[in-house]
Amino acid sequence: MNEEKQSTQKKRKKINWAPYWLILPSLIYLALFFIWPMFRGLGLAVYNDEAALSLQTEPSRDAATAGTLPQGTQVEILDQQGNLIPPDEAGQANVITEVWYQISAEDADGNTVEGWVSESRIRVREENEAGAPTAGSVRTRIGAGDTLTEVYSEPNENAEVAGQLEARAEVAITDQSILEIWYQVRGEDRNQTVEGWAQSRYIQVFGETNTGRIDRGNTGQFTTEYLSKMVNDRFFWPATITTFLLMILIIPVQFVLAIVMALVIQARLKGNSLFLYVFTIPLGISELAVGILWFSIFTQSGFLNSFLQTTGLINTPITFLSADTRYWIIIAIWLAEVWRATSIVMVIVVSGLQAISDEVLEAAELFGASLWQRVRHVILPMLKPSLQVALILRTILALQVFAVVIALSGGDVVTVLANETYRQYSEFRNANVAAAYAGLILLISMGSAVIYLRMIRSQEEMAA
Amino acid sequence: MAEIKVENAVKTFGDFVAVDNVSLTIHDQEFMVLLGPSGCGKTTLLRAIAGLGMVDSGRISIGGRDVTYLPPRSRNISMVFQSYAIFPHMKVYDNVAFGLRMRKVDKNDIDRRVRRASELLHIENMLDRYPSKMSGGQRQRVAVARAIAMQAGVLLMDEPLSNLDALLRLEMRAELKRLLAEIDVTTIYVTHDQIEALSMGDRIAVMRNGIIQQCDHPTKVYDLPSNQFVGGFIGNPPMNFMQGQVQRHNGSVKVAIGDFALEPANLYQPILRSYDGQPIVIGIRAENMETLNKPADDALKVQVQVVEPLGSQNLLTVKIGDDTVKVSTHPTFDVTPNSDVWLRFPADKIRWIDREKGQVLYPA
Repeated sequence: MNEEKQSTQKKRKKINWAPYWLILPSLIYLALFFIWPMFRGLGLAVYNDEAALSLQTEPSRDAATAGTLPQGTQVEILDQQGNLIPPDEAGQANVITEVWYQISAEDADGNTVEGWVSESRIRVREENEAGAPTAGSVRTRIGAGDTLTEVYSEPNENAEVAGQLEARAEVAITDQSILEIWYQVRGEDRNQTVEGWAQSRYIQVFGETNTGRIDRGNTGQFTTEYLSKMVNDRFFWPATITTFLLMILIIPVQFVLAIVMALVIQARLKGNSLFLYVFTIPLGISELAVGILWFSIFTQSGFLNSFLQTTGLINTPITFLSADTRYWIIIAIWLAEVWRATSIVMVIVVSGLQAISDEVLEAAELFGASLWQRVRHVILPMLKPSLQVALILRTILALQVFAVVIALSGGDVVTVLANETYRQYSEFRNANVAAAYAGLILLISMGSAVIYLRMIRSQEEMAA
Repeated sequence: MAEIKVENAVKTFGDFVAVDNVSLTIHDQEFMVLLGPSGCGKTTLLRAIAGLGMVDSGRISIGGRDVTYLPPRSRNISMVFQSYAIFPHMKVYDNVAFGLRMRKVDKNDIDRRVRRASELLHIENMLDRYPSKMSGGQRQRVAVARAIAMQAGVLLMDEPLSNLDALLRLEMRAELKRLLAEIDVTTIYVTHDQIEALSMGDRIAVMRNGIIQQCDHPTKVYDLPSNQFVGGFIGNPPMNFMQGQVQRHNGSVKVAIGDFALEPANLYQPILRSYDGQPIVIGIRAENMETLNKPADDALKVQVQVVEPLGSQNLLTVKIGDDTVKVSTHPTFDVTPNSDVWLRFPADKIRWIDREKGQVLYPA
């Protein structure tokens, strides 16, 4: 026991902190540019930070809570009140205020009128050095029969009227009050009537009526609303099924092709660098361009139809890309993706092949392995690490197929998860459901990566 | 029967002639060493025999069967590679069994042969391990076990010991020799290490620039090199070469080194007669000179420049004319640098070399 303790103490003394200091910047980088944005972004999918509004018993921030109403509840507006708040609080975000000026002016009869007028009624002409208004004139009231502006004895439309001013009357501004408007509302939540005060910014008032709704809340809640919205979306299942279908169709074909291409390059035939260039050309073309390219092949007056017509195989062009021929769209997407992204697998496989020493391959040949036996018993097992890297990469990329689908199907007839993310965000302006889709893609990617890595680890354990 | 016959083999890489019209016969169950400096074509010749690189012209037969254009697996051969080339993803057992499995040998037979081979190489308790967890020497043993498990008629070895450290190399050298004596196999062993060649081979084929310079028993190659290159390549220190002048005195021939006159053995008199008045190269091995610490009539006086005590011998460096000569003496021979010693050249140990052609002269 004692010895153990001593040895652990010795170990503790040996800790070298230098590498940790080096890690620190990368941790900060990781937190700042990955974890935080991902947490915020994907949080949108499960967290509604405006889910409920808590109502106060008094029109004051410090008052006790009277109850909460969920976002969207219809409410009846019972009363309203302007609360004076200090000027330094007025500039804060999310504080909607109404400003009242204390003025002194002469009315049409030459009487001096003193009192309060809402900021909206005064055009400020002069300000002092501190930026506070000192003089102005009464605005004309457009479209209203009565051109007179009421001056109240208090900064409040319910107060006593102290006098009336004509439009364009010169006023001296002696003081100003900044008011926050509170509404007293009554609404129902789960058959319970809740009544209380809330700031005006949370309430949407319907026109000139005394009804409105809770526009947004001030307390957040976890919600499955967006997830269920996503699952119940009419495009969800088609998108998911198509995404997985494309993965299953694309990846095996790509791997077989990539391995064959890599073996062709590795055979060191004459002009093998030409092969490499030709094989990797699609890597340099953008996904959308590839989609458009294959669209121009499959479209009604496209290359394929004109080829078939010139060779006399068909008389009238075939409509490949239509809602009635979804399978043709899938085939076109499959071809485009295989054409576009096989070479990235090939590049990985080629680099893996180059790591296999010539002598090992010669040994296999010498000890009697035919070409197929060499591939099966030596090359493929030794390529396993590269193949697993390629598999992870390809699966993740297959989940992100987007532009090719858009180009070939327009995004409605055949749709994939990435396309739905885009549709929710840009078309429906629903960032939350878009985040839910994005989170789903992330989850599938991570899940597949974990499965592949597990496969590697279990083999290493077997090896150990 | 696995006699290997190479006839007029030529192999070129672009303009470079790696194997230049080589003919070589290796008898059944013989241990033939291909020796030469790097780039001499020895590995190319071995690979041609293995089928890993086809010859441009010529003929190779193994056991009387023409294999010139057969793939390696149809040649009844096995091979140990320089970098071992064992399969890193297979356990030792699977490595050793690989060739047998490819041949679809019966399972029990495979097991028996794998165990026999691994016992011969003392790796029978490592069969469950992966090569990555093994030392260089152990991997070497796996590579050899894999080769002998095949029980092919021919075993080819391409510098198999060159990746081992000096001590291990010494150990494996003796072990390989023991092992190959136990099994009936014709072996071709490529090396650039002349000690390995001398100690292991039944015969040595010394190669240079794609041409076999000499192919003979190790003692013969050492003692009677066919030319100046072989003499200078084999032996540590290599054979000494000195410039001399053939002179005729009353019907007998003498060779002058400066003022000193050497008396060639009677056997060589007729040949040397034709070199009368011409320069000739004298070749003699370091251990074949007698060192005296006092003058004698038939001894040449030389000044010692360097003394290297090597334990079993003292190696002296002396200057004779413009030539530096290494002389091996008994470790008890007491000598200091800059002192004088006298060298005696036994007539039967001297090799006479044509200066233009570099060929060692043999009595007709």
